[in-house]
Amino acid sequence: MSGLLRSNVTRAALRRGLATEVGQQAPRLKTFKIYRWSPDKPAEKPRLQEFQVDLNKCGPMVLDALLKIKDEQDGTLTLRRSCREGICGSCAMNIGGRNTLACLCKIDPDTSKESKIYPLPHMYVIKDLVPDLTQFYKQYKSVQPYLQRTSVPADGKENLQSIADRKKLDGLYECILCACCSTSCPSYWWNQEQYLGPAVLMQAYRWLIDSRDQASKMRKEMLQNSMSLYRCHTIMNCTRTCPKGLNPGLAIQEIKRSMALE
Amino acid sequence: MLRKSFNLMVRKGISPFFAGSKAVQISASRSISLKPKFEKLKLTPPPPGGVEGGVNDDLKKPEIDFFHGSYHWDYERITAVALIPLTMIPMYGAIASNAMYPMIDTALCCTLLIHAQLGFTSCIIDYIPKRKFGIWHRLAMLTLYSGTAFGLYGVYELETNNNGLVDLICKLWKNEEADLPIFSRY
Repeated sequence: MSGLLRSNVTRAALRRGLATEVGQQAPRLKTFKIYRWSPDKPAEKPRLQEFQVDLNKCGPMVLDALLKIKDEQDGTLTLRRSCREGICGSCAMNIGGRNTLACLCKIDPDTSKESKIYPLPHMYVIKDLVPDLTQFYKQYKSVQPYLQRTSVPADGKENLQSIADRKKLDGLYECILCACCSTSCPSYWWNQEQYLGPAVLMQAYRWLIDSRDQASKMRKEMLQNSMSLYRCHTIMNCTRTCPKGLNPGLAIQEIKRSMALE
Repeated sequence: MLRKSFNLMVRKGISPFFAGSKAVQISASRSISLKPKFEKLKLTPPPPGGVEGGVNDDLKKPEIDFFHGSYHWDYERITAVALIPLTMIPMYGAIASNAMYPMIDTALCCTLLIHAQLGFTSCIIDYIPKRKFGIWHRLAMLTLYSGTAFGLYGVYELETNNNGLVDLICKLWKNEEADLPIFSRY
């Protein structure tokens, strides 16, 4: 009995290893419409290009489909990707009208519907799905996202923090700066030269409430103007779209509350 | 010699940030000139990608300004919260006993006006930002301020020569001329 079972198992394992059986299923062709624009032909208008992918031969996520297209159909398709597991934030794009990470976004199995993929909205496009994030990173740099202290710890070793204080950073430090939230914010669309945007403001808050940081007065004063912080009108697109499930809207509101009572 | 000065001019022309700008401005803005300066009316297009300066330059630091920062936000909230009792009390008075409170009415009018002014200021900063619209931003703000001033005059008229805002709204439900002897009615 057990021998029979074992031989069955080994046969099944062998069968799985063979590539001949895959073709027996009917192909489930899904249409992807992908935004294309190339800086090599700047006079050509951006267009949506259609690709068809057999979902039976493709991984479950949109990034798998995109890489399959790039491998097999059109090598010139350009996109950023790195970790393929939602921790690097490179593959942020607009899929089906929602900013998200391609590696965390499942392909809709309904093959009758087409899936539209655009770069992050209201950004300058470098090529195809690659937006220009220079301003975003400059803004991140401007909030000085590093520990600032006037004194060194007494034992000269570590800046200690209580468990309760550490808990305040949960939901803030997980941000991977994929820019999904900032580029979903209408306020950021209209004023991205001056408004810092949800992602950067959440990081500003992360350093404001860090019990080890001693520069909070300077950090708050940096935001005391009409543009940097107060262009947030709690539209909350940021929280809706965040692929990591964080809440930048709440963080911004907390900054406003702490600054209101000064 | 000629060539040298020409070279200098060209160099000045292509680097207006360092050399040319001030001199050009002085010569172009003579006070007796009747030529209108249409340059002012033009919008400033945003730089590509919103990036000012080089890629590695620091972001331009905005000036610290509490009155456009947290104070503005505070005033917005204070007026918004103050409007709740200021509308509830006259409403209760009007419904329960047909009483009018002129002081509360004045406070309501003024708070409403300030609240609207603060809200519109935010709208203007959002959609007609100074960075891009320049003189048009100033024009919009000026229009807003004059509108608020006009509104304030209206409040004064309403409270002194008339019976206040609440009464004005109450009149929507009352038929004042019910007992007017119109020939067909009697």
